[in-house]
Amino acid sequence: MKKVLGNKKAIALFVIPALIIYTIIVALPVVWSFYYSMYSGSPGLKWKFVGLANYGKLFRDKNFIDALVVNLKYIGFTMLGQVGGGLLMALMFRFWVKGGRNAVRTIVFFPTVLPTVAVGQLFQKIYEIQPNYGLLNSFLSNVGLQKWVQPWLGQASTALPCLILMDIWTGIGFHSVILYGALLDIPEDIIEAGRIDGCGGWQLFKNILAPLLRPMIISSCVFSFSGTVKMFESALALTNGGPGNATRSLSMYMYSVSFTYNKVGYGSVIAIFIFLMCIAGSFVINRFDVKESYY
Amino acid sequence: MKKKVLAAFMSTVMLAGVLAGCGSSSSSSSSGSTGSAETTAAAETSAAAETAAAETTEAATTEAAADTGSGDFSGEDPQLTKDFHILSIWAEDNDNGVLINQICKDYQKVNPNFTYEYELVSSDDLRQKISTLAASNDLPDMFVYESGKPIVDLIDAGQITDIGALLKETGSSDYVTPAATSLLETLSGTDTIYDLPLGLNVEGFWYNKALFEQAGITKTPDTWDEFEEDLKTLKDAGIQPLSCGAADKWGATRLINAYTVRTMGADAMQKAADGDTNYTDDGYVAAAQKIQDWANAGYFGEGVNTVDMNTAGSMLMTGKAAIFYNGSWFTSNLNDTTANQAGPDGIGFFNVPVVDPSISPADSYSMNCGNILCLSQDKTDEATKWFVKYFVEHIGDVAMEMQGSVKGYTYTTEASDMSGYTQLVLDEIDKAKSAFTWYEATMNSEVSDAAQQNVQTLLSGEMSAQDYMQSIQDAKDMSDM
Amino acid sequence: MAQAAVAAQGSTRKKNRTGKVVSSVLIKIIVVLICFIDIYPIFWMITASFKQSYEWSAKPAYSLPDGLYFQNYIDAWNRGHMSTFFMNSMTYTLISLVFIVIFSVTVGFAVTKMQWKGRDFINRYFQLGIMVPVATALIPLFQIYKGMNIYNTRWALILTYIAFGLSLSIYLVTGYLRSFPDEIMEAAVIDGCDIYKLMRFIVVPLMKNAIVTVLVLQFFFKWNDLLFSMTFVSDTKLKTIQTGLMYFSDEFGSKNWGAIFASISMSIIPMLILYSVLNKFIIEGMTAGAVKG
Repeated sequence: MKKVLGNKKAIALFVIPALIIYTIIVALPVVWSFYYSMYSGSPGLKWKFVGLANYGKLFRDKNFIDALVVNLKYIGFTMLGQVGGGLLMALMFRFWVKGGRNAVRTIVFFPTVLPTVAVGQLFQKIYEIQPNYGLLNSFLSNVGLQKWVQPWLGQASTALPCLILMDIWTGIGFHSVILYGALLDIPEDIIEAGRIDGCGGWQLFKNILAPLLRPMIISSCVFSFSGTVKMFESALALTNGGPGNATRSLSMYMYSVSFTYNKVGYGSVIAIFIFLMCIAGSFVINRFDVKESYY
Repeated sequence: MKKKVLAAFMSTVMLAGVLAGCGSSSSSSSSGSTGSAETTAAAETSAAAETAAAETTEAATTEAAADTGSGDFSGEDPQLTKDFHILSIWAEDNDNGVLINQICKDYQKVNPNFTYEYELVSSDDLRQKISTLAASNDLPDMFVYESGKPIVDLIDAGQITDIGALLKETGSSDYVTPAATSLLETLSGTDTIYDLPLGLNVEGFWYNKALFEQAGITKTPDTWDEFEEDLKTLKDAGIQPLSCGAADKWGATRLINAYTVRTMGADAMQKAADGDTNYTDDGYVAAAQKIQDWANAGYFGEGVNTVDMNTAGSMLMTGKAAIFYNGSWFTSNLNDTTANQAGPDGIGFFNVPVVDPSISPADSYSMNCGNILCLSQDKTDEATKWFVKYFVEHIGDVAMEMQGSVKGYTYTTEASDMSGYTQLVLDEIDKAKSAFTWYEATMNSEVSDAAQQNVQTLLSGEMSAQDYMQSIQDAKDMSDM
Repeated sequence: MAQAAVAAQGSTRKKNRTGKVVSSVLIKIIVVLICFIDIYPIFWMITASFKQSYEWSAKPAYSLPDGLYFQNYIDAWNRGHMSTFFMNSMTYTLISLVFIVIFSVTVGFAVTKMQWKGRDFINRYFQLGIMVPVATALIPLFQIYKGMNIYNTRWALILTYIAFGLSLSIYLVTGYLRSFPDEIMEAAVIDGCDIYKLMRFIVVPLMKNAIVTVLVLQFFFKWNDLLFSMTFVSDTKLKTIQTGLMYFSDEFGSKNWGAIFASISMSIIPMLILYSVLNKFIIEGMTAGAVKG
């Protein structure tokens, strides 16, 4: 056994090709951006070595702080919605939905496969107010809630919640399906044992299901986090960062700085910040995983 | 600094004289016979002479160079082999894409050794694409870009060709109208052009005649006070006075610009960009306040920030709003009979109303050259020059024949089916004696971003006019850092 | 076990019969509502793709089209070079999927089951990639591809797709392999399997679910990519379907919505087909614990 699994040649064959491609295409550019971050301007355009000046600029940049706040809010609420909502749906499939579980799951998963561009266009039309009420506003106005009719995407206060709702819509199916899978793996007799011991719905969840589901919930959080921390395409497609800066994320700001303002150097600093934020975030999430440590 | 002063000078003084030249050229050709090529050219030359006289030394030296060079390009096309890469934002069957492709195909008949690759990116991604390419010194032979500040970076980096000099060398300078030339020079703050125009547009207010009639308005407003009265009349008559595509942001900043220029003069934005004034000075704030007041009064209807320019335009044409600010390119929508329910004569045009004629007169129009074409400095060779020569000499006619549009080049033919709207625009261009540019023309991209993004919160009332101008000033201070 | 389950269900049913009638109706309504929310937008998009341009502004968003205006599809197909883009997207996606699956299974296996120094490090190293913001890589990568002379070739895209697909796929595969029983492998080794045979006959077949998951997720990611195809190929003949979606917004942001929706509808057709054919597999794969924590 040991000999087979310790086969050096096989390990090399298995790992090295992927390692090379990954290193050159994913890892090297990251290192490269550290180098870029010491320059002002863009390569070919006002490219000048400025040392650490770009880093000093970071926290004095109001736009950056705004984008950071937007991004953090977005991560928090979207994760809560995707994972929390996904969990609720999974529990519903498991315990309440009797017939047509597969059909329901199939439908619920469906939005995951749609191109972000398409989803963005779609929701623009759903939240529409002018020239015609979109789906949401015409619903509100028809059920007598005329005073709730508003330009959902046109004001800073509602644009971000609208974006978050859209991304929950897209992502919740994915999370509910994988969490449902984990729920199926929990043997019926364990649940039944809990019921016999007099656990109500909440206690059953808290004492029996949650601990067993934890690894899966953590994975789910990792997926959700890695998707939301990069917040880019969906915001671009739905609001293009507006109104004002209300939905401009760090990635979008970085993109503008690098490619519109032609400051790739400063953009790289923001990229590095995002990268570090990702690492910190996944570190925190994995802290909950201590007991499951497998090495 | 010196360049900027020159630019400001040119925008206010020279443009006036030069635009007159433009006016005469288009009127002479549109007024009648097809054989007016000579007269047109003559008018152009005299206008060009004025230009040259204004900047004596520069022009003299380059002209001397042009004299020696023009000999090489006067004869037959030498049919040099060239694989020409064009980066564009219009599909082959759309807008300027049609024209560029047509010219290329025509040129292939002159030079069969010329091949071209037509690449498309979306206009949103153009900047990103160009900066990626510029970073590795690999700009395409010819590419569409934005005039004004964006190309200044490329000019400073020496990445794009001095087209003014190139045209002098090939002896085809006169084919680009002086109006377009001086506008482009103003926009890039240089005394030669680094780009080719793809339009010569006026901007102003389009209005729905039926709705005006319905509200009892008999004539278009000449002064700003009349304008505001009309807006109120329309609103009181239960008509949405204005439609504005604030989702596309520039639709809203253009309105601020209109009032800023009319109250402070054509060089107001330039002064602020140069630091001679602050964006937070009273005049600028008042203009922003004006637009916010309109929004508060409900003139734009609900949810103005979610309406894009296309929708705003259809609202005008379908009678859901009475007035819409846009440029002369809007005629392509107006000419579309399925989209334009107002009919071939249902929409009219008026220039931005005047506040004080001594500050900004009624014959001063907001003008621009649309998106522009640049050439990669590294890839410009003899074959490129021959192609560009052919391009500028023919695109004016091709554009007029195929689309009835003016692109900033001289033309000798007339469109076969010139619509009333197209004619309307040509007439307005003729009336223009001087020009002012758009709100963000003098801003670099960071400042321009601030102006555009925050205009939405200005309209929604979530940001005061004072704070709005402050955010623009902050962005400027930040970018200078 | 099965008996226990049946018994459990029986007792649950008995206990809840009376109280749950109302709430079961309620739950049905909720479920139907959820399905409706998930499906309706797609239905709407497809119907809207048949609208003429004036209908967009003149009528409520949810109204059905006046007629089937196929011109949108014709515009989308002709203007967008859709057939070329379709083929390209297919080629790039399929080739990169093959490599992603091979690499993720081999690397995943090597870092979880095989014994060597530094495997934890390598695993973490690959995992970091989940976090790399894609836009950071654009300019450096562009320079790298230029240097390697593969800019504006198929390989620039395929390599990028493979590399950026690895991290998440390996993460999924290792998650699955961690709960993969060692006993089966031991038995196979005792039967005389070497490492390659072990992989081919034991590990891969048992990992079907994980592989399906990887395939499906990566298919969606690759098929939907816009940023890379925009940046690394400039030749129209090499571009992908998502780039076709951009052909309709003109210089000043005016949009041909009908044609946009028609081309989006076309671009999701492969997914609809793939999904409706494979949905059982996909859902099974996702549910059957491909992703074990």
